[in-house]
Amino acid sequence: MKKTIRLVLNGEEKNLLVNVNQTLLDVLRDDLGLTGTKKGCNQGECGACTVLINGKPVSSCSLLAVKADGKSIDTIESVAKEGHLHPIQIAFNEKGAIQCGFCTPGMILVTKNLLEQNPNPQIDEIKEAISGNICRCTGYLQIINAIKSLAKS
Amino acid sequence: MRLPEFEYFEPESLEEAINQLAKNNSCTIIAGGTDLVVALKQRLQNSRYLISLDKIPSLKKITKKDDAVIIGAMSTLDDIINYTLIKEKFPALRKAAWDVGSPLLRSIATIGGNICLNTRCRFYNQSLFWRSSREECFKVGGNICHVAKKKNSCVSTFSADIPPVLISYGARVKLVGANEERVIPLENFYSGDGRFPNVILSGSKEILTEIEIPIPQNNLKSCYHKYRMRESIDFPLIGVSVAIQFNEEKRCGDARIIITGAGTGPVEPAQVRGMLLNKKLNANLISDAAEAAVTEIYPFKTTLISPRYKREVAKIIISEAIREVGGI
Amino acid sequence: MTNYNIVGKGIPRVDGPAKSTGKAIYTVDVKLPDMLYGKILRSPYPHARILNIDTSEAKKLPGVKEIITGQDLSDVRYAFVDTPRYPADERPLAVDKVRYIGDEVAAVAAESESIAEKALSLIKVEYEILPGVFTAEEAMKHNAPVIHDEQLEGTSAWEQWGVAQRKGSYESEIKVNNLSGHTSVSFGDVVKGFHESDYVREDSFELKATAHCQMEPHAAVASYDPIEQKLNVWLSTMGIFLKRFFLSKVLEMPASKIRVHHTFVGGAFGGKIDLFSYEYCAAYLSIKTGKPVKIELEREEVFMTTRQRHPMIIKIKTGIRKDGTILAQEVKAIADNGGYRGSGPVVIFLCHGFSFPIYNIENYSYEGFSIYTNNGIRGPQRGHGAPQIRFSIDSHLDLIARDLGIDPIDIMRKNVRHEGDVLPNGDKLNSCGLTECIEGAAKAIDWENKRMQFRAKEGNRRYRRGVGISLCSMFSGAMYYPFASAAIVKMHDDGSATLFTGAQDIGQGSFTTLSQVLAEELGIGMEDIQVVAGDTDLCPIDLGSFLSGTALVTGNAVKLAAADAKRQVLEGAAEILGVDDIDKLDTLEKKIFLKDNPEKSISFQQAIQASVLNRDGNPIIGKGFYKGYPQTDRYPSLAKGKGLFTSAYGFAAQAAEVEVDTLTGKVTLVKAVTFHDCGFPLNKTIVEGQVHGCVSMGAGQALSEEVFLENGQCFNPSFLSYQLPISLDTPESVDELVATIEPSGPFGAKEVGEGSVAGILGAIGNAVHDAIGVRFYSLPITPEKVLRALGKI
Ligand SMILES: Cc1cc2nc3c(=O)[nH]c(=O)nc-3n(C[C@H](O)[C@H](O)[C@H](O)COP(=O)(O)OP(=O)(O)OC[C@H]3O[C@@H](n4cnc5c(N)ncnc54)[C@H](O)[C@@H]3O)c2cc1C
Ligand code: SF4
Ligand code: FES
Ligand code: FES
Repeated sequence: MKKTIRLVLNGEEKNLLVNVNQTLLDVLRDDLGLTGTKKGCNQGECGACTVLINGKPVSSCSLLAVKADGKSIDTIESVAKEGHLHPIQIAFNEKGAIQCGFCTPGMILVTKNLLEQNPNPQIDEIKEAISGNICRCTGYLQIINAIKSLAKS
Repeated sequence: MRLPEFEYFEPESLEEAINQLAKNNSCTIIAGGTDLVVALKQRLQNSRYLISLDKIPSLKKITKKDDAVIIGAMSTLDDIINYTLIKEKFPALRKAAWDVGSPLLRSIATIGGNICLNTRCRFYNQSLFWRSSREECFKVGGNICHVAKKKNSCVSTFSADIPPVLISYGARVKLVGANEERVIPLENFYSGDGRFPNVILSGSKEILTEIEIPIPQNNLKSCYHKYRMRESIDFPLIGVSVAIQFNEEKRCGDARIIITGAGTGPVEPAQVRGMLLNKKLNANLISDAAEAAVTEIYPFKTTLISPRYKREVAKIIISEAIREVGGI
Repeated sequence: MTNYNIVGKGIPRVDGPAKSTGKAIYTVDVKLPDMLYGKILRSPYPHARILNIDTSEAKKLPGVKEIITGQDLSDVRYAFVDTPRYPADERPLAVDKVRYIGDEVAAVAAESESIAEKALSLIKVEYEILPGVFTAEEAMKHNAPVIHDEQLEGTSAWEQWGVAQRKGSYESEIKVNNLSGHTSVSFGDVVKGFHESDYVREDSFELKATAHCQMEPHAAVASYDPIEQKLNVWLSTMGIFLKRFFLSKVLEMPASKIRVHHTFVGGAFGGKIDLFSYEYCAAYLSIKTGKPVKIELEREEVFMTTRQRHPMIIKIKTGIRKDGTILAQEVKAIADNGGYRGSGPVVIFLCHGFSFPIYNIENYSYEGFSIYTNNGIRGPQRGHGAPQIRFSIDSHLDLIARDLGIDPIDIMRKNVRHEGDVLPNGDKLNSCGLTECIEGAAKAIDWENKRMQFRAKEGNRRYRRGVGISLCSMFSGAMYYPFASAAIVKMHDDGSATLFTGAQDIGQGSFTTLSQVLAEELGIGMEDIQVVAGDTDLCPIDLGSFLSGTALVTGNAVKLAAADAKRQVLEGAAEILGVDDIDKLDTLEKKIFLKDNPEKSISFQQAIQASVLNRDGNPIIGKGFYKGYPQTDRYPSLAKGKGLFTSAYGFAAQAAEVEVDTLTGKVTLVKAVTFHDCGFPLNKTIVEGQVHGCVSMGAGQALSEEVFLENGQCFNPSFLSYQLPISLDTPESVDELVATIEPSGPFGAKEVGEGSVAGILGAIGNAVHDAIGVRFYSLPITPEKVLRALGKI
């Protein structure tokens, strides 16, 4: 069964015909080729598939695509604008927060939301914000430091 | 694991939703889907039709009505966390919502879904392939329980965070079916049968539409303590909600202690209510109450952690929670 | 220390922008036109005979393009270890028997993943269930079920690469059932050593299987072009040349007809070296269908059917003098390698290899067994044997120190090896900062003030703290196919360079560190370098990113290639600058200048132009190569531990401060200290990142991680149930680099990235003992075990 959904994807209005048994992650990766959103576990346990829905981070592997109808979705592909890296992306790279990079898109989107909600997060708040995103490579420390370096006191 | 084939409906009114539910046999409600989508992938759920409640705006409202707060079943956990009156009057509810899963689930997971959440078991919450290594157990329609081999029933564990809190606040839920609409105390929603742990999973063909929580007096003190191995993502190993009404002399009036992770439904150790009644809290009383409470829970090895350990930490967090409420 | 411009600096990763924007393509992201999707049917039973496989129903399903079973490929065998003594024992699809839950039985290619999944459910397999055996100790018994009863031929795929084909059988003198590997090493006289000791103690330790948890699931895409007869593959792997070698053997295709294309790798940690069935099946299905085929494993399959760390039982007996001098040590290790050999014979060799460089023990004997069971296959995982052995030995020494009433650090100091020492196998420690590491770590954890102090002061308090320390060491590359790395540096008209390397960046930052080596040596900037990597057609051979060889071996190759290019650049420049000897010139910031008159300079661009115009069109291409172990031409012997192992060892001392909640039993790692002798750190940020990653993984494995098995079935094949650390578990971390200079390494660098997972386990175990006075002989130290040990449950 298919259904048409309307959404704003990375700032662009779109009508998409999706199968009702596709997750949003499937549609992004398989149909739209937006492979920056990763599939780490496919069951809501790792955060590799994080996208922003109306600004908030969500595991897209746990969301039926049809449920994105009427929403605004931002993926990692939308973060760098006009050929310029976003300050979060720069900070992540400078502070060593990226290793294999598989968790990175999710981490960056969570950070984006965090800093919008709370421009000066404390270490505990940072750890809490990324607590649904698993990173096996970095041991989190350099990620936490990168986010902290962006805090505006 | 891809999702199975199903049809998907988005009724725009409750009536329509109920009609569809009544019409079709293999039919399931989907709220946020954070639990259901996994269950579908693992083929624990094989419904032919999913009915989404997304397009019924009335189910998303949180309102204050007389002496109660009415929470629409489709309110997300984030909605609950951010609602001012809940922050002020129901700190334990806010805490329990905050403690569910990880931040990536809470903006889509709903309170209704949390209340209706199925029980869990290490033999059940696995893929179809995984389960094919052994005989089917009661919960998937078989004739054996791999956990409690001698018991003739399923002892899968209730692991939702929010219901204990709601019960301790005296919440009632509204269930709407094709022919009737009823409001029942939340504790009556749970069956105690691990296979069909609540009214809806037993096949009542109803929709849980709203939760009504009486606004407590100022001298009701409450809290929720959750114990889990990792402080995010994980389900509760044990969760305890405590709500105690204190009188002027700081004696306990009604005291409700509800435990998750310890049985096939939320567990309220009956003796404890009596033990605390009219007493002033002190360290000894609290530790006696906690000791007594754990004699009334019967955890089974449905997770990778032993029931003995569960019982021990239950005791610790029950006393911690009572102490917090009593300011001790 | 020499002042460098680029190496040694915390330069941001060159692949950072691609990874942070989502543009980096991993194997799971590869999608080709008209691609089919493959799925694998697996055995639900740990041990069974296959009686019949009926694929007829599945074949009828619309959208199914091909189904293969073991019957179609019955002759194919491969394995991580493949020698006459240990013949390859894996098949892409089971032929007669299945030997663990998840063993591959059939493979399907279909138009979509959903159809492929559906097809699997239509394949009917009849099994005769056989009794299984699930621990190494049970499997060794004489009446245990025999897991490999088939006759394996003793020819090795590595014949042309120097593995001798000896005639005759390898009937082992060791008579235990289900033996898959045996290592025995000794030097000195242990009996005499024990006899002369003041104190002798024996302990036994147990370690459980753990999972790598690379965030990118294993995946392969294969695309066969029947006209060119060429197979293109995209693999999530650590070593492209090793994979190509395996594939060419099992597919019986010339190596040059197989091209491994570059993709980014979303984590490996040792778990992406072996050839896997799904890789073979993707290739085979593509050849059969003439279409691209992609197989991506589910997370559950990654847990159950790729690789795990070996569970081990380690028994140690040590004889020591009162002053702390170790006189004799006897170690016996038993590893459970699961249903196939995996890296069994290697891990029992490495348990020795990664431990004996640490303490100088005159009388020593080591015996290791690897054993088949009906569990999942075990293979290399970060440290490969080191965590198991280092946890055991340093826990054991801590116990001895307590018995003798001396400080364990004194025992360590007294017995560790030093720079210049020659190991019993002949390896020379050209650099060794162990003593500095111990001293630094002790100071950073405040050893003097904290050890034994918490317990005394805190009495019966709920939360107790303690400190512990442990050491570890690691190879920097070893003799294994392809034995060497090479690099090519191609200069461009504008003076910039492209580096061609076969190395893979699996997250450890090798593209960045190799670029730094190139930039430094050549005298250009990081922004002047492009990397073309991980492609077997475009790039020269490379050892691969395992055994921690990239920095040293590939690093040296790159440095030599850069030097070669530089020499040519200087030759071009010398003519213009009117210099007769290129030694009078040097380079910096893309300029060539006179050493004694730096004002006089020309740009790289000019020099390259000059080279093309005046030197017969030479556009300047530099080449460099370096062998894993320059002084030897043979593999070390796994069975006897003879031969040279590696050119340089990395070392670390790790200390931990833990807090134990005596009510719930939860142990929190509060602070982790690593003093790491990685030679010269090519990139500080990257080295620190490697150490943090190791600490986190080590802490997970010490405190919560375990692949939980019952009768061969894994009960926690997910990130929810397999308790790997999350952000909230991050300890305070101190990491210092004890920068020794490794003479054989590029700019003095050696291994980083594997070793320091191993020391943290023992450090945590010892710290827990310090905190609550209880010893844990097995990992992980779960809250439940703590409460049991405290007698509370
Ligand atoms: C990784 C992970 C971690 C988790 N951790 C926790 C945790 O710590 N604590 C916890 O409590 N839960 C946890 N969950 C489970 C789940 O996310 C939450 O319980 C969530 O609140 C469920 O809400 P939902 O809206 O997503 O429910 P859904 O998945 O949509 O539904 C759940 C069930 O309720 C039924 N249902 C939902 N709404 C209604 C309704 N209005 N009327 C009738 N039936 C209805 C559905 O048919 C389904 O059977 C976790 C899940 C995951 C994947
Ligand atoms: S408790 Fe028993 S019956 Fe229930 S799900 Fe677990 S194994 Fe099945
Ligand atoms: S892939 Fe969605 S949370 Fe892991
Ligand atoms: S960088 Fe590899 S998982 Fe985070």
